[in-house]
Amino acid sequence: MNSLVRYLKKDLWSPYIAGILMGLVGILAVWLGNNLLGASGAFQSLAGLVGRAIAPRAFDNLYFNYVMPPGVTWGVILMIGIFFGGLIGAASSGTLLWGKKNAANSDPQWKRIFGPQAWKRWLLAFAGGILLQYAAGIAGGCTSGLAISGGMLLVPAAFLFIGGMFASGILTARLVYGKRY
Amino acid sequence: MTTYVIPLTIGVLFGIALNKAGLTRYSKIVDVFRLTDMAVLKYMMTALVVSMLGLYVLRGLGLVTFPSVPATYIVGNLVGGLLFGVGMSLAGYCPGTCVAGAGEGKLDYLIPGILGFMVGAGLWGLTYEQVFPSISKIGNYGNVVLPDLWNISPYLAAVAFTLMALVLFFLIDRAGLHRTEKQTR
Repeated sequence: MNSLVRYLKKDLWSPYIAGILMGLVGILAVWLGNNLLGASGAFQSLAGLVGRAIAPRAFDNLYFNYVMPPGVTWGVILMIGIFFGGLIGAASSGTLLWGKKNAANSDPQWKRIFGPQAWKRWLLAFAGGILLQYAAGIAGGCTSGLAISGGMLLVPAAFLFIGGMFASGILTARLVYGKRY
Repeated sequence: MTTYVIPLTIGVLFGIALNKAGLTRYSKIVDVFRLTDMAVLKYMMTALVVSMLGLYVLRGLGLVTFPSVPATYIVGNLVGGLLFGVGMSLAGYCPGTCVAGAGEGKLDYLIPGILGFMVGAGLWGLTYEQVFPSISKIGNYGNVVLPDLWNISPYLAAVAFTLMALVLFFLIDRAGLHRTEKQTR
């Protein structure tokens, strides 16, 4: 029992153990929630809410009226849970970064490649976020909503997405890392 | 009340899994693309095997019905995946892992990350009518799953997928099918 608790509190689990938990989460979503997991959809619902407050006329279109109506959806609640899950996981291993000095740019490998400046990290994090979300829109979901949720039900779209993602991810890493790849 | 408790609980477990697998770290994500640390692939494949076997068996027992599955439109799924991979390799996260990382207190995830996703979501919603109908027309198979498309038993497909995953795990862990990190200082 003690050793189980010690393992659960570890900073990193075996990816197989964490993957089993992820798989159970995927089952529970369908079984208890009658829903698929997803993250990018929640951002769409939230962007609709914010957009309607800022520019009601522009956000009164087909997409926000019928395809992805704004609101606090199942996916938004799930996303709030993900936030607290990250918090609980890090708290259990004592690796929370709230209030810590390096919270703005914490990855040593990033610093080795791009330098220690936080603004560079923030710029790329922001641009990456825009690209990721727009790409998820085109594909019809992200890593959780399409790759995992689609893949577990053997949806062809999921495997096309995963294939594309690894191909361009590898190529991009090669270009960014150059000789250090 | 239960409408909130269930997704909230599932979300918390989801976030814990992402944190414990190390997927809330830039290095873990980019290193699977450098092929030096295959944890992300092992995590994804294990999750797929567990949930695939579980859900098809539960459906066979009549305990669950599947929600509407994501649509397949070949070019859009593939192009979206290609763009997604670029973003993931650069930023070192995807929408879900960014939110979990934000919960850990990573400010680059919490502020520019989430802001980026919100801006991207606005842009997608505002340009949807111009982009989506044309791209989703090509090679559109609708909301289909492979067992139906190929007319094979879903159990056979799930078992075949599981065997493929086990072979992949064996190749990575035992046959060393990955690159090793170069010693740079």
